[in-house]
Amino acid sequence: MDDRFDCIIVGGGVAGLSAALTLARGGAKFLLIERGEFSGAKNVSGGVLWGNQLNDLVPNYWEEEDAGFERFIAHRRLTFMDEGSSFSIDFKSDHFKQTPYTGVVVLRARFDAWLASKVQEAIEEGPHADESFIATDILVEELVKDDSGKVVGIRAGDEVFNSDCVILAEGVNNLLTRQVGLQSEYVGADYVATGVKEVIRFDRKVLEDRFQLDGLSGMSNEFIGYATQGVEGGGFLYTNRDSISLGLVLGLAELRKSGKKPYDILNEFKKHPAIKDIIKGGEVAEYSAHVVSTGDMRVMPKEIYADGVMVAGEAANLLLNSGKAIQGMDYAMASGVIAAQTALNAKERKDHSAASLKSYRDELEKSYVMKDLRAFQGAVHFLHNEAMFTRVPALVCDFGREFFTIKNQATPKVSQMLRGAIKRNSSYMELIKLGLKGGRSL
Amino acid sequence: MKDLSIAERLGMVNYRNQGKTKARAHIEVETDMCNSTCPHKCTTYVCPANCYTLDDLGKVHFQFEDCIECGTCMFACDQGAVTWRYPHPEEGRGVTWNFG
Repeated sequence: MDDRFDCIIVGGGVAGLSAALTLARGGAKFLLIERGEFSGAKNVSGGVLWGNQLNDLVPNYWEEEDAGFERFIAHRRLTFMDEGSSFSIDFKSDHFKQTPYTGVVVLRARFDAWLASKVQEAIEEGPHADESFIATDILVEELVKDDSGKVVGIRAGDEVFNSDCVILAEGVNNLLTRQVGLQSEYVGADYVATGVKEVIRFDRKVLEDRFQLDGLSGMSNEFIGYATQGVEGGGFLYTNRDSISLGLVLGLAELRKSGKKPYDILNEFKKHPAIKDIIKGGEVAEYSAHVVSTGDMRVMPKEIYADGVMVAGEAANLLLNSGKAIQGMDYAMASGVIAAQTALNAKERKDHSAASLKSYRDELEKSYVMKDLRAFQGAVHFLHNEAMFTRVPALVCDFGREFFTIKNQATPKVSQMLRGAIKRNSSYMELIKLGLKGGRSL
Repeated sequence: MKDLSIAERLGMVNYRNQGKTKARAHIEVETDMCNSTCPHKCTTYVCPANCYTLDDLGKVHFQFEDCIECGTCMFACDQGAVTWRYPHPEEGRGVTWNFG
């Protein structure tokens, strides 16, 4: 038996598993290597998997009783915060209840393990039932190259596994991507953030009543302003089946400047009146943290393919916070699928050179992933603007306080209230500049 | 809800190979560098697992046992003091998330 694989995938997260499903269904013989105890064991996300591509990979997944997602997003909220107030834009609609859903909340230890079970089923139904594997608890230490510099396999401990190509889906801490020279050895703090999160458990009935949930419907809430104590970034709250995911994403360069500890900022966030009352009675079940890309393309690897290797998901820093949503897992899925299709085509052509694998880049550029990443770079920079997480939320809350406060005295007109709030927190000049920038970039 | 300390938070983390008396370190820090030339010693506050601490004399100490593999220090240290690897599945430490 030839022990050479058509493809080796490093990493059993969303990108790696999506690639694996595609390879299994395309009839390739592959090995997926995950360093955790199981797929998902090492993975942390906020997290919402946005869009409906999951339905392409696992058709009608919601019909499964024990499908790996927590809840589908039927209710969205964006909250501006100052120290004592919150002002929310709230959108709830029945159209979100139609399948396929356009966003599902996930907890990765459960979701990835479920997706891995789908890969295993696809392997068993395919032509390489005894020759394709998901291998866990193995750490890939090095990519193996031939004399010409082409990647021809991986090394884990003393063992070498050979393959025609390798898909790196190792996540944002992309050591192997750096090792093969696709990304600089050192990547600075400027274009990444640190996420900290708690999973807070509730009695299911309490959770459903508190967040107005119906069946498996769920809510996503993002926070901007006081949530991050002046550090660039934002907060999030997502409803799971019987818990919530509550956390912060903090720009790392800004966090370094602030001198603050991420978990102290999280404690303050939890004391804000908008949060304190909705987490009452909950019990923290897990605290986690992870680095996350911010969507600034300047942090992307120099290239996402080379001779015998492709880089998918957050290892390629494919993530975008456009102000509408933080998208990363859907990009991981899309890029994993395209990388696997490229590997299948390369197998057909019997050519895994960089020239052949370039079609991964080309197809990704044609997909919504790179189109959106390129189109919304302005939004990424706009949201980095200090005013957006300090003065603007303060202004919004100041106005809200004025507008919603009824005093038994002559009431100023809305335009007067707005003028006052602008003068107290910002300036017309700054708002005009922000308005122009925002108008162009969002 | 009462404030949780970092110790209480890390107490909920499911660490691997806890039975092993001597786990292999996956991160190496040249604290000599932290304690001589580094202008900010930022790892002592940006690390979400408090693996980097300052003693009474203001010196940086590092322990890998509480590390939750988030990657923050690898990006945050701009002095070249942090060598970051993934923990070895059998001989290292590191996490298995219950929720993730």
